[in-house]
Amino acid sequence: MTERRQVALMLAPYLFGLFALVGLPAVVTFGLAFTEYDLLRAPSFNGLDNFRELADDDIFATALKNSLVFALIAVPLRLAGALGLALLLHRRFTGVGAYRSSTVLPTVIPDVAYGLVWLWLFNPLYGPINLLLRWHGDSPTTTAWGVQPPQWLTHPNDARAAIILMSLFTIGEGFVILLVTRQGLPSELYDLAALEDATAWGIFRRITLPLMAPILLLLLARDTIFSLQWTFVPALVVTDGGPPPYATTYVPLFVYRNAFEYLRYGYAASATLVMFALTALIVWLQWRIVRRWRKGFAV
Amino acid sequence: MSRLALEGVRKRFGDTTALDGVDLEARDGELLVVVGPSGCGKSTLLRCIAGLEAVDEGAIRIGEREVTRMKPAARNVSMVFQSYALFPHLTVRDNIAFGLVVREEPKRVVAERVAEAAKLVGAEGFLQRRPYELSGGERQRVALARALVRRPDAFLLDEPLSNLDAGTRVQMRTELRRLHREVGSTMVHVTHDQVEALTLGDRIAVLDAGRVRQVGTPDEVYSRPDDLFVGRFLGTPAMNVLTPQAARPFVAIPEQTVLGIRPEDVRLTADGVPARVDLVEVAGSDAYVFLDRDLVARVPAAGRPAEGAEVRVGFDRGAAHLFDEASGRRVEW
Repeated sequence: MTERRQVALMLAPYLFGLFALVGLPAVVTFGLAFTEYDLLRAPSFNGLDNFRELADDDIFATALKNSLVFALIAVPLRLAGALGLALLLHRRFTGVGAYRSSTVLPTVIPDVAYGLVWLWLFNPLYGPINLLLRWHGDSPTTTAWGVQPPQWLTHPNDARAAIILMSLFTIGEGFVILLVTRQGLPSELYDLAALEDATAWGIFRRITLPLMAPILLLLLARDTIFSLQWTFVPALVVTDGGPPPYATTYVPLFVYRNAFEYLRYGYAASATLVMFALTALIVWLQWRIVRRWRKGFAV
Repeated sequence: MSRLALEGVRKRFGDTTALDGVDLEARDGELLVVVGPSGCGKSTLLRCIAGLEAVDEGAIRIGEREVTRMKPAARNVSMVFQSYALFPHLTVRDNIAFGLVVREEPKRVVAERVAEAAKLVGAEGFLQRRPYELSGGERQRVALARALVRRPDAFLLDEPLSNLDAGTRVQMRTELRRLHREVGSTMVHVTHDQVEALTLGDRIAVLDAGRVRQVGTPDEVYSRPDDLFVGRFLGTPAMNVLTPQAARPFVAIPEQTVLGIRPEDVRLTADGVPARVDLVEVAGSDAYVFLDRDLVARVPAAGRPAEGAEVRVGFDRGAAHLFDEASGRRVEW
């Protein structure tokens, strides 16, 4: 067997999976976006009707806004968290392995189990977060500084904050990539900075950040895509898209409900396409901005 | 300009002793080359002087100051690294200016000093380029300019030429020598390359297993090695070492000693000891003749014998060195 054939054979399962599980559904979704389809009857072509309806759909507008606000807040916080931890934990010291493992651990827990844990943590009465906040409070329902603790599951803004808070602990992949990137930076550059009396902030701003910028850009794009999709399980398991009116209904949950609860597959597919286009646009813009930033590097 | 001195410096990494009581001095304005095989502690020595490694014992002085416990920046030394350590995201100009900008020198001063340093090393032509657009030699010039720009008390050069191709290395060696003459600062240059050490240094310190074996001018160290290690480390091919038995046809030496004779001092002569040529290696104008008497002779390539030829060899007693077999120390005879 030739080497070429061996390589082709080894790649075949992956390529088949890619085609069957990603390529084909993507093509079908694209086609369905221009149809009316309820699983019972054959899809019927309806042109741009789904997109016109989306433009007038207040729930979709709310879901889109929720998704974008979530990404706008969660992505920088997640990246900053992963970068900060990578910079803290890239050196060897006693117990560093345990710290690194505990950073990665939440990422490998199944999403639903992770959501259920947070459902308990956010419980307004006996959840540990609010118990901690009410500790030393003036009354059993106020915090030490005299205000009510967040109503994670019943107040719209608190619920949105809860979903963001949940996302801040699943940064394991970004953390590992940034950790390896930091460890790969030449130590001589830091020796040189020490000889030149550079401060910790100066070293971060002048050396670490610019040299890690390509990987940070990659993670920024990847995390934006991830964040726009990640909200599905927490919104379904923890907040159920609420509290009313649709405070934590994000586009993935909107798509899911339209497709699997209202059997509006064509409409759901069109919402997916809008989300895909929007994601691509955001990633392109990020790439342009960071590229310009990198070109302007100066000491 | 500053004298630089190490007094009884020891440095251990776990169970490994990197520096074992090093006493060494680079005189004011001197170019001292520290030479030794890989892993002998050369780079550790430099890093200890720079303050990038803390010493376990001993003292380091730069000028009149004891800097042993000072942080790197307070020692006022510049270092050139083997990998050049240029910032890939900065232009050559910004790379050179780095130390001055970090120390918040006025912009006018930065511009003047960068221009001055770039001129000194011949880097004015590529100040706007980035490191990946430069050749190895050009990168080395930038690294040197960055070291020069801050006008430090001493320069520490950690194998700065070892990543260059042979031709550029020879050229940069000359440039480095010229630069030292023009700047006149104290420089400690670390290398494993004996040719670099012999051609570049005002004085040479030979380091082995964390200990200084000998310090002296290139001439002194080459022609009068203090011990067998120094004798064998410097010179190509390495010094011949003969046991009393092997030396007997040529000269009688005491038991418990060995005789060292440099290949260029071994002569093919009509009145010598008979020997057979095992192998001949031609290295440009010279040829290395490997003889069956544990001897290598370096002769002009034009007059080299053929492999398998029967020849006669000899050497002057005065050119030979005697070493104690156990300690390797030089024995006068």
